[in-house]
Amino acid sequence: MADVELKDVRKEFGAFTALESLDITIEAGEFVALLGPSGCGKSTTLRMLAGLEFPTSGDISIDGRVVNDVPPGKRDIAMVFQSYALYPHMTVAENIAYPLKKRGMGKADRAQAVQKAAALLQLEPLLDRKPKQLSGGQQQRVALGRALVREPKVFLLDEPLSNLDAKLRAYMRAEIVELHRRIGKTMVYVTHDQLEAMTMADRIAVMHEGRLQQFDTPDGVYNRPANRFVAGFIGTPSMNQVEAELSGSEAIVAGHRLPLDRSRFGPGATDGAVVLGVRPENVTLEGGPLPGTVRLVENTGHEQIVTIEIPGGLRLLARAPATLPLTLGQDVGIGFEQAHIHLFEPGENGARLNTDAEARVIPMRARQGGQDKD
Amino acid sequence: MPTRFWKTLLLNLFTWTLILLIAFPLIWMIITSLKPQTELFRIPPTWWPETITFEHYIRLLTETPFLLYFRNSVVLATTTTIFVVTLGTIGAYSLVRFSYRGRETLATLVLFTYLLPSVVLIIPLYLMMVELGLSNTLTSLILAHTTFALPYALWLLRSFMEGVPEDLESAALVDGATRLGAFRDVILPQLLPGIISTALFTFILSWNEYLYALVLVNSESVRPLTTGVMSMLITAFNIEWSLLMAASVMMSVPLIIVFAFLQSYLTRGFGAGGVKG
Repeated sequence: MADVELKDVRKEFGAFTALESLDITIEAGEFVALLGPSGCGKSTTLRMLAGLEFPTSGDISIDGRVVNDVPPGKRDIAMVFQSYALYPHMTVAENIAYPLKKRGMGKADRAQAVQKAAALLQLEPLLDRKPKQLSGGQQQRVALGRALVREPKVFLLDEPLSNLDAKLRAYMRAEIVELHRRIGKTMVYVTHDQLEAMTMADRIAVMHEGRLQQFDTPDGVYNRPANRFVAGFIGTPSMNQVEAELSGSEAIVAGHRLPLDRSRFGPGATDGAVVLGVRPENVTLEGGPLPGTVRLVENTGHEQIVTIEIPGGLRLLARAPATLPLTLGQDVGIGFEQAHIHLFEPGENGARLNTDAEARVIPMRARQGGQDKD
Repeated sequence: MPTRFWKTLLLNLFTWTLILLIAFPLIWMIITSLKPQTELFRIPPTWWPETITFEHYIRLLTETPFLLYFRNSVVLATTTTIFVVTLGTIGAYSLVRFSYRGRETLATLVLFTYLLPSVVLIIPLYLMMVELGLSNTLTSLILAHTTFALPYALWLLRSFMEGVPEDLESAALVDGATRLGAFRDVILPQLLPGIISTALFTFILSWNEYLYALVLVNSESVRPLTTGVMSMLITAFNIEWSLLMAASVMMSVPLIIVFAFLQSYLTRGFGAGGVKG
């Protein structure tokens, strides 16, 4: 059943269009990440779901009810803010109890609910403290506690981890996924960090310049990116995208001919100019048809990121095992793994031309216990 | 550390000289108010009164309308403060949280009125009060004081309001509060230091104000302390120094008490205004 639905939602701030015709349907219990660079409209979308902004046109429904004119407090949602937005003059217990108080719950019931939420998040020893006396991670947990205490239908999280240091962030990431698994509520999570989106979400809505680029599983956005933007945005280091010319069963890159299995591409991939994309891990360095020279080797310990220059000024990134002996200036023969070549329409944000994109039905990814913890 | 010792000594000496210089009129005021009439004009003056007397205070409280003036001043300053803080808080909230056409212009315009010398405004204000049928009432003074305290209060509170994160209000709204509820539960507590320093500033301004009180009000029953004491004790023929000094002490005491309690808020307020305003 659809839990959250945005239908043709548009948002303008004066002359600036923050969001152009957004259509998203989120299933009950799903964990959806809104991912994109800053200014892509993801936070605006979340604030509209919360009722803090109103759409210029279009409909937003939660649990089958159109909520366009419903104030935030009556939408059965809870929100965690990037700044946590804990009330500084209230204790942790008062912070968590506040939404219940506003709903007219009695004092005894409130205390019980706070205890329950505190137990879930290991906040019991901190209940009498003020937010100022807590560490960043603890504040984060209080914010989560305040959100889940009244058991809303939908959780909205606005970059909740971006104020934490890297180690704590990895830890809290796992905590939130674990929490989602336990309470089974719908979560909409805004982030600009693709790692967070990839590791946490059931589905990712990749946004750019106020438009939805792709709404798919992590596997989908990574392996079947809808267009050049998604291909470049997802994955570090990002996908190599080079201009190429299709001709028969070959692609011509910087004057060199590469064999190409044309059956993998749709009717849009006609002879002529295209953009060829291949991820660094699908670039081979030995025995390939494309001559290149090693220009930079970045060793991360368990692998090497290699920058290769191809005559004609083209640069490619490749991922190689740390054990592969590489020296600067070394000549290599580059090849692309056939099954992982993507073709895009030329142009700034050309669409992908592979045939696997349309053929797949998007299943909700079954959530496994014990997510990776970095 | 001889050099360090001298440095400290010199610094202390300098500071205390400065304090003494500033505090001397106040000290002299208290001493004079405690001297008997006979000792008042003795030359050379006695630095410490030979006999301490409270007769001036008693006379002031029993034989003069001092208490009436005092009551007027309390009513005037308190009401003005309540007016200014209420309007200022709501106005600052509007200026910070809502966006509408002419918002910045409005804010600047408000400050512009503050730049006009009060003498320029006083006659038009007086005429307006007459037309409203408010001449010679405390209400007219309350309105007048509100007009000149509000612009500054608005700016002070605005910079405080800008310091309250918008997310707090959003969170309260999502948590089920109404706009007014969020304002009361979340914004007001955060704004408290700003409100206190604004209130203090307004109270002091209104308590000490002289010019408006002189022009707008001239019957005994509604005079505040400033003009009341002046008209009562200073005549063309005589100045009642002892009574004047006793009155001055009693006028200052409430301010000093309030100030002592809320001083830390006030300095914080000036800090906020200085950095952001």
